[in-house]
Amino acid sequence: MLPAALLLSAACSNADPGIEEEDFSNTGQGIFILCEGNFNAGNSTLSYYQPATGQVENGIFARANDRKLGDTGQSIAIYDGTAYIAVENSGIIWAIDTATFRVKGQLTTGETEHMINPRYIHFLSGEKAYVTDLYSPYITIFNPRTMTSTGSISTRQESAFGYFSTEKMVAWGHYVFTNCWSYSNKILVIDTRSDQMVHEITLDSWQPKDMTIDARGKLWVITDGGYSTGDDSFGDNIPHLYSIDAESFAIEQDFALDTDEGNVQLAMNPSRDTLYLINNDIYRMAVTDPHPPVRPFIHAELGQNGRRHFLYAIGVHPRNGEIYVADAVDYSQSGVVFRYSRDGRLIDKFRVGITPNGFAFK
Amino acid sequence: MKRTLLLLLLWAELLPCSLSGFYRTACHAQTSEQWSLRLDEVGILAQRRLKDAGVQQTSIDTAILHQNVSLSMSDILTQHSTLFIKSYGRATESTAEFRGTSPAHTQVLWNGMKINSPMLGTVDFSTIPSYFVDQANLLHGASSLTLTGGGLGGAVDLSTLPVQGQGTTLQYIQGIGSFDTYDQFLRLSYGNGRWSTSTRLVYARSDNDFPYTNYDKKVDVRDDEGHIVRSYHPRERNRSGYFDDFHLLQELYCNARDKGRFSLAAWYSHSLRGLPFLSVDYKDNSSFSNEQGQDVARVVAGWSKAATVWNIGLRAGYVRQQTAYDYSTTYESVSTDITHAMSLSQQGFLRAGADWMPLRALLLTAVSEVYYNHVYSVDKSPFHIGENYRLGRPEYHLSLSAKWRPRQRMTMSAVLRGECYGDDLVPPIPALFAEYVLVSRQHEGLVPSAETLVVKASAARNYRYPSMDDLYFKPGGNPDLRPEKGLTADGGLELSLLRKGVSLKANLSAFDSHITDWILWTPNAKGYWQPSNLKRVHSYGTEMSVTAGFSFRHDWHLDLTGNYAYTPSLNMSREVEADDASYGKQLVYVPRHSANLSGQLSWRSWALSCQWMHYSERFTTTSNETAYITGRLKPFYMSNLSLEKSWQWRQVHTSLKGVVNNVLDTEYVTVLSRPMAGRNFELFLEIKPQWPLKSASK
Repeated sequence: MLPAALLLSAACSNADPGIEEEDFSNTGQGIFILCEGNFNAGNSTLSYYQPATGQVENGIFARANDRKLGDTGQSIAIYDGTAYIAVENSGIIWAIDTATFRVKGQLTTGETEHMINPRYIHFLSGEKAYVTDLYSPYITIFNPRTMTSTGSISTRQESAFGYFSTEKMVAWGHYVFTNCWSYSNKILVIDTRSDQMVHEITLDSWQPKDMTIDARGKLWVITDGGYSTGDDSFGDNIPHLYSIDAESFAIEQDFALDTDEGNVQLAMNPSRDTLYLINNDIYRMAVTDPHPPVRPFIHAELGQNGRRHFLYAIGVHPRNGEIYVADAVDYSQSGVVFRYSRDGRLIDKFRVGITPNGFAFK
Repeated sequence: MKRTLLLLLLWAELLPCSLSGFYRTACHAQTSEQWSLRLDEVGILAQRRLKDAGVQQTSIDTAILHQNVSLSMSDILTQHSTLFIKSYGRATESTAEFRGTSPAHTQVLWNGMKINSPMLGTVDFSTIPSYFVDQANLLHGASSLTLTGGGLGGAVDLSTLPVQGQGTTLQYIQGIGSFDTYDQFLRLSYGNGRWSTSTRLVYARSDNDFPYTNYDKKVDVRDDEGHIVRSYHPRERNRSGYFDDFHLLQELYCNARDKGRFSLAAWYSHSLRGLPFLSVDYKDNSSFSNEQGQDVARVVAGWSKAATVWNIGLRAGYVRQQTAYDYSTTYESVSTDITHAMSLSQQGFLRAGADWMPLRALLLTAVSEVYYNHVYSVDKSPFHIGENYRLGRPEYHLSLSAKWRPRQRMTMSAVLRGECYGDDLVPPIPALFAEYVLVSRQHEGLVPSAETLVVKASAARNYRYPSMDDLYFKPGGNPDLRPEKGLTADGGLELSLLRKGVSLKANLSAFDSHITDWILWTPNAKGYWQPSNLKRVHSYGTEMSVTAGFSFRHDWHLDLTGNYAYTPSLNMSREVEADDASYGKQLVYVPRHSANLSGQLSWRSWALSCQWMHYSERFTTTSNETAYITGRLKPFYMSNLSLEKSWQWRQVHTSLKGVVNNVLDTEYVTVLSRPMAGRNFELFLEIKPQWPLKSASK
């Protein structure tokens, strides 16, 4: 019996001794959905959806490249036929071909001077991009074509309990704005000509979580208000929506939002005159509206037990204005993506990987 | 004789570490002799213990526990039980699950005192060296209620035992293994019939930087124009997997005859362990530190006294556990904490119990316990900074049981427990047990033989109250949590057989268990985790175990043990939301099939051992996804081999043992992105001076 068991052992191994790399060729339009997976599990994945056919391919990074995407994929952005994926807890930025999904290059923390946990990427040109960081007091500058680090920008921020968080980036003129989320209330302004932080905007509400900019040059920032757990609190736990003039850096509007511990996110329509935001449900407002809407534009579905879908991410197609919303379900199973028309009609619904958190439109 | 036996049984009720001498002697003899036929089985055949009526129990004795100084209890349970051990590798967190439940549903006792962390409700078995345990009893399902409440899956009862024999003994084992691993074990013991004392030391350290082929990464080799020429999976080393563990155990026993028996066991441990990097981590390990330090002190003192029809016992204990976890990065010569957590938990324990036997076939038992837990927890995380909580919580347990043998072959027992924690009262916890001896034959003589076939059944309702982190952790702790409820029933057959040169013990059982209000931590929209009474789980299945010993001519002996469990453990919660696909699916990381097989062939002073184990596939998502490669862990098979030779000199007993772990160099993971070591080697030298023994009777 024992020899038989040993023989059985010899025949079996549970490690994946590599998989055959699949050939993909998706030259048409499509949408990448980044799924962050579970922290410290290394199960972040990438999905690809073709709106024309409704076909969805899951786990495409591993299937095309015979390697895993990593731990906690944070963001994805496309520039010039290449998709760049920041995988935060793996300390890597991948560059993949948007048609074949094959790896074209990578940038790891060890190859840079200051990068620790890469969060978001912003492209200034084919040779220059910024990447923000959760723990580093620097924004790393790299060449997306060669995937090499070319410099860094000091954020000149005090450590907020060990965090030097910089997050999303949006551009207006020569300036790039970035929000400092973790234990901060700052919006930093970077002059892209000198690669220097030249100004900072201080908000009354804590933890600016997301940011976008409209056609008029008004920066829209949403905070999560910090947290409040029993007698322990940081901030007032009330999300605020700000409108900030990108020329003068002046805060022009400040709205306190209703909340019940919901995730908050922003997106802009293609003409950049309509703002979408997630605050449990999906709201829509014209950027010229005097205040945010009271009623949701799209209600998050309710389950049989009355529980709402956990809306985790929103993206608006930059060409046709369709709205994509990600639902994390229980954060431990395949998430669901809802595709809505610009008037809020459900067009499609499909399964992706664990905890979908971002979209990139090809 | 029967009265004597009865007293022994009663004794066992209150003082696990002084279990009946005849029952234990054979086991202890094996510590030095390593292998012999276990004749103690005969005792069990002759008279079944009242306290074990209907109990589904797996016993692991000293010979197995002490087979390798480098093993922890997690290794022993993996190799010799049906429990599922979720392990990240040597010296990393290892938890045990009975019958498809969670680690918090496994209650663990050390010398009668519960040692589950009051913060987490779990026990890390990698921190318990198997050389510090002399007897391990695994009580499955309802059977755990004979010891403690809250074991919705079961209970693990670990105990130390007084040294057998008289005089002074010294044992030293030096181990050296792959990856700069060094294990040292020292035991000095003394016994004189009235007093016995033992001091044990274990020190283990390792770089634990085993090499492995990283199939989660791939290196692309490019030409001058940037085209990929070839790709390969890199050969890497386990990073930050080092450990440095020290344990000291001091025991003192006194048999004061008319004044009763006294016992004291004190165990101190200090460990510093790196937490290995994920296989998908590309960060430079030189600038990151990820380690956990732990200091634990446990003390249990006991007294018991037996008379003709009664037995009383007192026990008191204390646990102090300090844990610090740091994840930091050094940047421009300045160290920055990314995560920093520290906790100090203290536990006081008192227990009083009495057995009374008003009739020869009736045993009544009452046990009262008080625990007082105090936890101070601070941390720094993205969602919280500062003090988590600083709270104390008393816990009271009362257990009443009656064991009745109305007929020679039939035994029934009932247990009723009451428990409360803080100001909350847990509903009454009842359990019923029954067994019937179908066959009982015994032939004494020159060649004794015996056979017993027993049918058993038990049923219970059980509750586990929330841990202090469940209730108070910031952020997320939920003070409104209800206790988890379990309803379980099992039944089975136990066969014992003794023939010339053959002993066999086999168990077959089936169980069905429902747990409601299962406490589950899930992320909320803010990004931090919160517990709630979310889950309803149905687990059922079978468990089998076989222990067999064969003696052949010319001093050849063969011992085999095998275990198998079939455990569907299904989430039966109504959907979390409309798109929840987890209903009816196997719980995450719980294998449906698990099996192990161990064998030892010995001839005179030689012993060849082999262990083999298997877990079937495990899912990593609640919806049991298999569409992508991270959705499941494939089945794995593992085997270890060892060869030992001992020498008995006039002044010293020595042995040399070579161990090959993962003989077939299987590449496997038990947790996503956590590669395990391939084939590796250990060598142990044991030295045991044989000085003249002093007999107390002389």
